[in-house]
Amino acid sequence: MLLEYYLNPVIILNINKLHHVLFIVYILFINCASSQSTYKFGMLPSINLNSKLENDWSLNTKVESRQLLQTGVFKGNTEKEFDYLLTDLSMIAAKKVGLNSRVTGGYLIRFEKEKLFHRFIQQYTMVQRLEAFRLAHRFSSDQTFSSEENPSFRLRYRITSEVALNGASVDPGEFYFKFNNEYLNAWQDSVYDLEIRLVPLLGYNLINNNKIEMGLDYRINSFLNNNTEHSFWMNLNWFIEL
Amino acid sequence: MVKYIIVTLSFLIIVSYSNDILAQEKYEKESRIKQSDVPPNAFKFIDSLSLKNKVKWYLEEGIERKSVEAKFIRNGKRHSVEFDTLGTIEDVEIEMEWEDIQASTKNSISTSLKEDCEKYKIIKTQIQYTGNQSSLLLKLLSGQPTEILTVKYEIKVRCRSKKNTDLFEYLFTDKGQLILASRILFKSSNHLEY
Repeated sequence: MLLEYYLNPVIILNINKLHHVLFIVYILFINCASSQSTYKFGMLPSINLNSKLENDWSLNTKVESRQLLQTGVFKGNTEKEFDYLLTDLSMIAAKKVGLNSRVTGGYLIRFEKEKLFHRFIQQYTMVQRLEAFRLAHRFSSDQTFSSEENPSFRLRYRITSEVALNGASVDPGEFYFKFNNEYLNAWQDSVYDLEIRLVPLLGYNLINNNKIEMGLDYRINSFLNNNTEHSFWMNLNWFIEL
Repeated sequence: MVKYIIVTLSFLIIVSYSNDILAQEKYEKESRIKQSDVPPNAFKFIDSLSLKNKVKWYLEEGIERKSVEAKFIRNGKRHSVEFDTLGTIEDVEIEMEWEDIQASTKNSISTSLKEDCEKYKIIKTQIQYTGNQSSLLLKLLSGQPTEILTVKYEIKVRCRSKKNTDLFEYLFTDKGQLILASRILFKSSNHLEY
């Protein structure tokens, strides 16, 4: 209830204006890439399976892979070479704790070349169902361990907006627009970094309520220590409701 | 032995009794339609209101029926006018404040809600008018009360029972007597949360 009251000012902001502002920020971030900034471009496909269980519990399983297609320096050299970077497999258990909110906990295993990473995830989500759109707030923390690297810890906040492109809500057989904006605070070896993600997506709600989305996942990090890294991942997501 | 079985069965029935609200589930699919797809009679009715604000038209598909709905804002209040697929008006709904309902009606509604919910919160209140077309048109144009219209209240409530919290849509008479309660089914939000 307190969180909903705190988030009320977000409701006031007209969603069309919010999207315009975020798009401008998105373009500015891309345009302000300095000549020393590096970038990566690749693919980020994922399959997400969700199944409802008894007593407001649900289980979410996700498989995501990352493939690099191009790296380089803005206004500098580029290197086009396909490289399969990693595969993530996660399993998360979630419990509905209110009308619009869920608490989740889970585990992710990452297969990255010869390395193996173990990540523990904790998450709280809240979905606001407003007149013409939906807003979702996700607060999460994760801890990543590996025999190859020192542990890393992250605190994350993501706001997601979904706007139906036909009618007031997204029904089967309809398109929608989704925009993710996430802030990731990361610590490793006592070094702090901030990553910002902007992800506009076009989605389609299939007849059986499964969804397919496509868009560009833009990430910027290491800009606090003037070593800006940009990455652009073509998102292709398939959400399956079991 | 028989007494023992009866007592045990009675006990099991009482224990398994839940405080669940006996409500229907509300399912509706809504899609925007162009003005050219609106039944002529429905368009003519709305056009006669000479509205300054834009009117949005929707096709609503429920489990058993379809209807056409015009939504607009007039005098600062959200209005919704529902027609059947032939363009015959079915009802007019106007959003209002819960506090503006007559005290005796409010008390009656609150009593009903307390029977179903341990704790509840009114999310949205609408007054619903049904009647013949000319009376509904007069109501929309002048805002004056007309005795020949049937008045009902449609209330969206967040209701917490012993087991869980859900969103319900209740329909009450103008005196606050319960007509219908429907549990609102939420659309999947996994693509927003994960």
